[in-house]
Amino acid sequence: MKKAVLYINQFFAGIGGEEKADHAPEIREGLVGPGLALKTNLKSAEITHTIICGDNFMGSNTEEAIAIINGFLEGIDFDIFFAGPAFQAGRYGVACGTICKHVENTFGVKTITSMHEENPGVEMFKKDTYIFPGGKSAAAMRKDTKKMGILGDKILAGETFLEAEKEGFFVRGIRHQVWREDGVEAADRAVDMLIKKMAGEEFVSELPIPKLDRVPVAPPIKDLSKAKIAVVSSGGIVPVDNPDKIQSSSATRWGRYCIAGEASLKSGVYKTIHGGYDNTVANANPNVVVPIDVLRKYEEEGKIGKLHDYFYATVGTGTAEGEAARMAEEMIPYLKEAGVDAIVQIAT
Amino acid sequence: MKLEIGNFFVKKVKFGDVTKFSKGIFTINKEEAIAYVKEDQHITDCDIVITHPGDETRIVPVKEAIEPRAKVGTEEVAFPGVTGSLSQAGLGRTNALKGCSVLAVGKHWGSFGDGLIDMSGEGAKYTMFSQLVNICLVADTDEEFERHNAQKKNKAIRWGAHRLAEFLAKAVENEEPDEVEVFDLGSITKRDPEVEALPSVVYIMQPQSQMEEKGYNVLYYGWDLNQFVPTLVHPNEVMDGAVIGASYMCCSSKFSTYEFQNNPTIKRLYKEHGQTVNFLGVIMSNLNVSLEQKERSIMVASKLAQMVGADGAIIGEEGYGNTDADFIGCIVALEDMGIKTVGMTNECTGSDGKSQPLVTLAEEANAIVSCGNVSQVVELPPMKKVIGELESLGRDGISGGWESDEKLGPSVRPDGSIIMLNDSMFCGDHVCGSSKKTVKEF
Amino acid sequence: MVKTFEKAGFPIVLMCNLIPVATTVGANRIVPTVSIPYPLGNPELSEKEQLDLRYHRVGVALDSLTTDVSEQTVFKVKI
Repeated sequence: MKKAVLYINQFFAGIGGEEKADHAPEIREGLVGPGLALKTNLKSAEITHTIICGDNFMGSNTEEAIAIINGFLEGIDFDIFFAGPAFQAGRYGVACGTICKHVENTFGVKTITSMHEENPGVEMFKKDTYIFPGGKSAAAMRKDTKKMGILGDKILAGETFLEAEKEGFFVRGIRHQVWREDGVEAADRAVDMLIKKMAGEEFVSELPIPKLDRVPVAPPIKDLSKAKIAVVSSGGIVPVDNPDKIQSSSATRWGRYCIAGEASLKSGVYKTIHGGYDNTVANANPNVVVPIDVLRKYEEEGKIGKLHDYFYATVGTGTAEGEAARMAEEMIPYLKEAGVDAIVQIAT
Repeated sequence: MKLEIGNFFVKKVKFGDVTKFSKGIFTINKEEAIAYVKEDQHITDCDIVITHPGDETRIVPVKEAIEPRAKVGTEEVAFPGVTGSLSQAGLGRTNALKGCSVLAVGKHWGSFGDGLIDMSGEGAKYTMFSQLVNICLVADTDEEFERHNAQKKNKAIRWGAHRLAEFLAKAVENEEPDEVEVFDLGSITKRDPEVEALPSVVYIMQPQSQMEEKGYNVLYYGWDLNQFVPTLVHPNEVMDGAVIGASYMCCSSKFSTYEFQNNPTIKRLYKEHGQTVNFLGVIMSNLNVSLEQKERSIMVASKLAQMVGADGAIIGEEGYGNTDADFIGCIVALEDMGIKTVGMTNECTGSDGKSQPLVTLAEEANAIVSCGNVSQVVELPPMKKVIGELESLGRDGISGGWESDEKLGPSVRPDGSIIMLNDSMFCGDHVCGSSKKTVKEF
Repeated sequence: MVKTFEKAGFPIVLMCNLIPVATTVGANRIVPTVSIPYPLGNPELSEKEQLDLRYHRVGVALDSLTTDVSEQTVFKVKI
């Protein structure tokens, strides 16, 4: 019998809910919680250990959590690793993806998890582990663990070419060539596909083009000389005391800083806290990152109507796409209230 | 234009006193054949080696494959503008020796676009040429100027192989073929109303023309496709020797002469013509490097499709990498005109499968047939016999082979086993339409 | 962040060094910058030259906000 390890969070371990989300990682022998459901469908391995970790502990102290769990795993023998199912719980899904990715990379052991398609963990980790589309809540426990178990058995049996289409896990963006079972040659597939396409019938492309998320172009400003322009920066330019305590990397915070009446950003008054680039030049002259000096000139010259009294700043390095979008959402009401017409954003 | 191809089904090839075909067996008088090839003084050394499907044979470096063909009852040559004077291809009667091909093989020296064929074992499935009787022209030449270049024109060997292919097919000039295939496609605007009522389709071919110096690229009646803007071509011309393969392309993506002569997409469109589609013909485009030249060809090819009234188009690309831009660009241009497209190509997803499959992508390219993945690592055991020189795989700059690698070691190991990329399996992705492979998500 | 702002209706121009990232990120109006640590500066130039550069590129960015574009566009800069 092969050996399996299951990772679950504090809630599914029966330890507690939100209030116990800081639960430090622990390892227990045998089955806990969802392990029972998984066991029913995992025929070729025994779940020898269960690792439990609070979602907040993993989320806020990721490195530490991984290090502790790594320590647990080094002490035991295991052939396959499962996590979740996480359903729609965002932090749980991300935690499952995080630990699965680590196990794959460090131990070379295959990992399987499951979560609802809207769980942010899917986009973040689908390339790093097998993620099955799961239900919205624990009501889907049986169904979700069943899929995990079936794939687990196949992997343990040594099957290597597991197609997303056949097995059902989320497309991982890993593509390999295969010989078609039906032996139909490309010319026939192409002609058949074209005939269907011309007739308006459904067909399936063999190379799905990933959906490109494009935003419609905002219409241009009609009269720049009447427009109010705001500056947004991901370069980490902040007042020297960093009043909003924006992080130097993986930022989740942002700030807005008043520059009313200032002709430029002065060194020593402003600085950069961006951890991702050499700060020397920016600290000597913050205008190279947030060009207030030339914008003020354009305002005086009348090229633009007004430079907004505030500039908005955060740090772009390591910042998750989701976090950046959220910060932008939070900035928007201020920009709208101030009647800002257009934005110049400078990246670093 | 009406073309008749007289097919002679060859099951076995052997050497003998008289070059002739009888009951499925083709006999070659080796001395005569070699003498014919050596009429080109650039060929300094040559041999003809025959191998059948199932032989424990590995052939490398393979530069070209040609189906033996000869025109009947005329002085015209099988490859006008190449092996002889210009003439209109795609008309009259041409004899073909089916089930076999002449391969241009280097006695020693490989080049970037050369490939490998295993006639049996695990490696056989990587190319359909393992299923033909291969008449290998193994030659060395006096082309010192390119001896140690990875990019070679391979002119003497390639022309030698085309000439030999014709020489062999000439032997059946007065024989009755086993069957006659007829390819008859008339003028575009003078077709029966029932045919005109069907959706109109063009096949747009994008053969390789990346090299700016002459001697490497695909030729149309002997004219280099780098110096070319797309034009209308009759499908019979493609199938009757008007187009010959290039000496440049990473081999699994190659359009060999054989696959122009036997283009399965053209054959299938012929089958459908009058039944489900109105096959208008072929638009021969190209694949140049500079952005402006790509844009020019896309513009001209798509406009031609529109002018002849195509409702749909199949686009076939000979290559990957920067040529994906031509492929996708052409698809987008056609879709923008309302012409429905299906693209046929191979992918380059990296050995871990995670790289973006095509260099550029567009939402309009929503109907693609994928023929294979050039990046797949292939490891194969030694074969009893090697035709050509095994070391060329690792030594001479063949795109899918290497001298040494920290992780994978050399392509050619002391025991004769090899490790290489699918990229250099001879015409392995069969992007003209024979590919029985596809690419899936894992 | 660019897409979020543009979705909310703000014409926005992204001044950025890694153009392929700008296009992937979905910015529609793009102006190239000098480099990552100093987008609108250059320690190899004099103060005046840097100011001229900054003035020019920000000017291009402002003009891009008044330009109608139908797809992702990289605006050219002279210095």
